[in-house]
Amino acid sequence: MTVTAQAVRRDAVKAPRRRGGGIAPPWLFAVPALLIYALVVLYPAFSGAGSAFTDWSGVGAQRSFVGLDNFQQLFHDDQALGALRNTLLLTVAIVVVQNGIGLLLALGVHTGIKSRMVLRVVFFAPVVVSPVMVSFLWKYVYNPAPDAGLNAALGAIGLGGLRQDWLGNPSIALWSVAFTVIWQCAGYSMVIFLAGLEGVPQELHESAMVDGAGTVARFRHITWPLLAPAVTINLMLSTVGGLTLFTQIIAMTNGGPGYATDTLSTVLYKQAFVFGKFGYSTAVALVLAIFVAAVSFIQIGYLRSRETAA
Amino acid sequence: MALERSVSRRRLLQLVGGATVTAGLAGALSACGGGNGSSSSGGPLKVIGAGSQEAGLRKALDDYKKAHSDFDFNLSFSPADQLQTALRAQLAAGNAPDLHAVYPGNGSAMSMVQLSKANLLTDLSSQSWTQKIPTGFKGAFQNDGKTFIFSPGTSVLGAIYNKKAFATAGVDVPTTWSELLSVCDKLKKKGIVPIALGAQTPWVTQLIDYALVPGTVYAKTPDFDDKMTAGSASFADSGWADAMNKYLELQKKGFFNDNPNGTTYEQATSMVGTGKAAMAVQVSAVLQAFRQASPTPDDLGMFPFPATDVAADNWIPGGVVVGIAVSAKSKKAEQAKKFIEYCGQPEVVNAWAEAVACVPLYSEGDAKVDPVLKPFLPYLKDNKAVPFMDQRWPNAEVQPTHFAVVQELLGGKSTVPAALKKMDEAYRKTA
Repeated sequence: MTVTAQAVRRDAVKAPRRRGGGIAPPWLFAVPALLIYALVVLYPAFSGAGSAFTDWSGVGAQRSFVGLDNFQQLFHDDQALGALRNTLLLTVAIVVVQNGIGLLLALGVHTGIKSRMVLRVVFFAPVVVSPVMVSFLWKYVYNPAPDAGLNAALGAIGLGGLRQDWLGNPSIALWSVAFTVIWQCAGYSMVIFLAGLEGVPQELHESAMVDGAGTVARFRHITWPLLAPAVTINLMLSTVGGLTLFTQIIAMTNGGPGYATDTLSTVLYKQAFVFGKFGYSTAVALVLAIFVAAVSFIQIGYLRSRETAA
Repeated sequence: MALERSVSRRRLLQLVGGATVTAGLAGALSACGGGNGSSSSGGPLKVIGAGSQEAGLRKALDDYKKAHSDFDFNLSFSPADQLQTALRAQLAAGNAPDLHAVYPGNGSAMSMVQLSKANLLTDLSSQSWTQKIPTGFKGAFQNDGKTFIFSPGTSVLGAIYNKKAFATAGVDVPTTWSELLSVCDKLKKKGIVPIALGAQTPWVTQLIDYALVPGTVYAKTPDFDDKMTAGSASFADSGWADAMNKYLELQKKGFFNDNPNGTTYEQATSMVGTGKAAMAVQVSAVLQAFRQASPTPDDLGMFPFPATDVAADNWIPGGVVVGIAVSAKSKKAEQAKKFIEYCGQPEVVNAWAEAVACVPLYSEGDAKVDPVLKPFLPYLKDNKAVPFMDQRWPNAEVQPTHFAVVQELLGGKSTVPAALKKMDEAYRKTA
């Protein structure tokens, strides 16, 4: 009797079913969110994109349609091409080093050491600090005077020969900024890897140990494959973060010395607000958005296939 | 079975979602903060001034408020670099403050010519003080014959020096380039940094060129700007090359502090104030900041920075200082215009100019000029002063290009011909 009643009730509220089985999500619930997203993201983005085909200065009503001139200029602009090079170098450095350190930290605090909870908090702490504050802090650390900041520390431990003009030397400045970003964000990667590590079954490790597998073999054949979802998310986030890096550069070097730390984000900002070329700036922004989207799609496609294989 | 317990991507997204939202929300809040920019409809008059003009503008507003009980204002200041961005963003969004800082002449995205061309400034031509603008300065205030900004006067550019440091090295103020090199050499031998240079702050990079170019370019070719406009002159084939080579000569001889590209304006200011460095090439408008950085402000003086060995060719740069203008979209434009009319009165001009160490726009009777500026007055009287170079540049790209190429030169990443070629290319771009 009870079973029959339950069956009847299920029939009465019969949910739409997916072709492959399971209940389809009620898409109508997403409509309010989609409307808000369209209003505050899609509409401004598409309406602003129109400026890329004009010579608008960013203020006033005067603007003329210039077709693809801004895009042609972009691909012949030494400053923009230099910024693209810097953007890619920064992204590669951040993706590789930040995730490498994040993984090592996660493995370190996933052990049974007593202070692991404190260490997790310590390593994650920089993430919750404003990037502007972190930048100003590191600008102080990078003070070029021999008796200040990092240079003073190097001198104190007998490494005075390594003192540098960390943000003023065009050959070093980009890597100084990259180090600051990595210092701040490695904890973020650590947390994601840690979440992945928490899901790796202990039984697998135990059975592998019984079979005589060492630490490296267990990491390679058990931990690393099962971390695939975490790797996907970390690589995606750090790639997008690297390609769109802005705050730390503006706060620490303003793109200088010269153009040594300019990225596509700082170029589009300067074109819009310093040079008064909003149209050209929007063209840079459009190309950057398409570039980031393309890289992300290719990356996630590859990483998903890797997850499936794992 | 065990594999089913591994963390899926969806679960991972749930786990990191909280952190992502938190970080994103913090960013969004900071990005959206301070959105109270639209001020024109009610409340006090909203004013944003240039940091270098704070003392004078604040005094003028305070005095005006005392005399007008129905007047109130909300004043904030912005450093030079942020004026280009934050204020311009407000202008673009149509919520600029009623009264805001504007650079005189042309050559910057926040300059009078650029903003008046976009119909963003209120015409002030009907005010009586505009008739007293000296002819040579009209280009800084006017576009198409209409006056759009008020500025209290002209700031000169030269060396702010520490008299005690000079006395320690037993040197006097130099009047020629060779004397300057000799003075720097003696200072260096005494362990004092001859010239403090904070070239990490972009606008500081231009100052030594600006100090030298009146002597290397304009003394010989006073109509250089007109020739540039006509396309018959270029940076590369002018005395600009001489000026940049001299700039680099100072660096090669070790007359700057170590690592100027990594040193900020504030650090350089402190070096001169405390006597660690003997001088810095600066505009007189920032004298107050140097005095604040010095335990003995009276030890600071100023002298024209010599560019050549011919005393008669050593002209000085003297430009109209950052002004204020009324937003064309302000609903309190009449109130703002009345305040500017008040600022144009001779006693207010004098008081403001004195507060920011500049030479008054005009004076009736004796003008009060900061005593340290006296070495510059003969140059102004003899028409040997050239407006700051950017005020005649045709677009907003030349000046930032100048900043960048100087940093590249100081960093050893460029040459003088390559630097000037970049400036010429920026100059030839359309406004």
